[in-house]
Parts: sequence; C-alpha cells; structure tokens
Amino acid sequence: MKKALALLGLATASTVFAVDAPITGTVASKCVIVTDTAGVYGNPTPSVLSTAAVDGGVEPVVRYDVISADFYKAVISTPDSFSSSPALSDVVNWTGSVSVAEVTDPLMSAYDTNKRTFNNVTEFDLTVAGTVWFKVSSQADYGATKAFPGGNYVSVVNAECIAL
Amino acid sequence: MPAYGHQFMPTYPKLQPSYVEGVLRARMEIFNSREDIEYYEFSVHDENWGKLPFATTERILYVPYLKRTYVDIFIKEEDKDRAVYICSMSKILAGVHQSTVVSSKICSKLK
Repeated sequence: MKKALALLGLATASTVFAVDAPITGTVASKCVIVTDTAGVYGNPTPSVLSTAAVDGGVEPVVRYDVISADFYKAVISTPDSFSSSPALSDVVNWTGSVSVAEVTDPLMSAYDTNKRTFNNVTEFDLTVAGTVWFKVSSQADYGATKAFPGGNYVSVVNAECIAL
Repeated sequence: MPAYGHQFMPTYPKLQPSYVEGVLRARMEIFNSREDIEYYEFSVHDENWGKLPFATTERILYVPYLKRTYVDIFIKEEDKDRAVYICSMSKILAGVHQSTVVSSKICSKLK
C-alpha cells in the first residue's frame, strides 16, 4: 500500500513538473523617445527667459532608448519661436544647445564630441545600444530695453529619432 | 515626475501588396506611453524629406495613453522606390500651459 502511494506521489510530482508556462518575448530594434523632464523658463531679468538653473529655470531632458546600435540617429531642435505667448511687438533672439546629460554606456560619452549642429538643430548618431539622456537649454532674449509682457509662454523642443 | 514615451515600429518596414491593385501597404505599430499626448500624425517622405502622398484610415490618429495600435500606411506602387521614411509625430494640443513642451517624432525607413 505504501509502495502504491509512493508511486502515486511520484506520478503526481512528475505531472506537476510536466506543466510549463512559457513566457515569450521578442526583442526588435526600436527607438523610444521619453520626455523625462519638462522644461521651465526662468525670468532672471525682464527681457530674458531661460531654462538655465542659475536663471531659475529647468532644462528639459529627453531620453532615447535604443535597442540596437547604429540603427537610428537622434535629431533635437531647440525652440526658435513661442508656440503661444502674449502679443510681442519686437523680435525675440533665440539661443539654445543640446548636450548629453547621462549615459548607460561609457562609449556614449563620445556623442557630445561627434554631434553635428546646424541652425537650431543638433544630430547625434546613436552608435551604442542603450539609454542616453539629452538636456536641452533654451534662452529667449527680447529687446535690451524691453520687458517680456506678462503672460504664459510656451515653446516646443522637437525630439526626433530617424532610422538610418 | 513620470516619464512619457513614444514608440513606433518596425524600424525597417516592408511594403506588401494590399487588397487594392497598384497599392502597397506597410503595417506599423505605435505605442503611446506619453500621458500628455493622445494624438499622433503620420507622414511619408522621400530621401530629401519631401512629402509623398499616402493613405491611411486617419492621418491624425487618437492613441490613448498606454495603448498599442496598428496602422496601415498605403502607398501607390509607382511611389514605392521614392518612399523612404514613414514617420509618426506627437500632436500637442493647443492650450498647453507648460513652459517647454517636447514634441516627439520617430521615422522608420523602408528598405
């Protein structure tokens, strides 16, 4: 009787081990753009809006997740106009830059050296798989003797990921 | 602050015959994990970033937060050698009061 129970137990155990629950997944090359930090303009002087921390602003941070190396380039444009603002009677002078803030692979530190900049656009070849954070600085200067009118100012940072 | 992402796949889509003669189809997948964005616009470009005509069910598509959607992009067979990029771009609603807004655009390449 004991032998029979032991055999039954073994049979049950083997049945349990025979059940499997597969978890399947696919890793495909892809680029994910993540907005980690939304930027804020500080207003250090009446004629300047700036995302620099020293000016009371916050620099927007955009994260790129790339599964495979050499499949994409990142193209980031700093603002060159307000998408919404109070009525402005004079020209706004825009400056901005994009740089690598953090990396998950030390080889990505070369991105800053190898970046291409033209007008308000900066391009980075994403030659290493992993995650990289880009910080964007933006400054808007109004006429030297003018003050930005009171109101809400919004500008847009364009973050693109282009397959190579 | 939570992170918001935009995915567009595959990286290298292939044009395949569609149910309409003379029209090819690329099936794309978009995943919206940007809580601040609900609409994405699609476009097709040649190698010089000139826009090419294409058809899809909705050029500006509603993609709810954390939803994955498949989009069929239809391109005329005569344009198949000119079409290089298929892009999706986030659409920001008017009335956003954030200081700087990030617009995301991902382009796949036809090979």
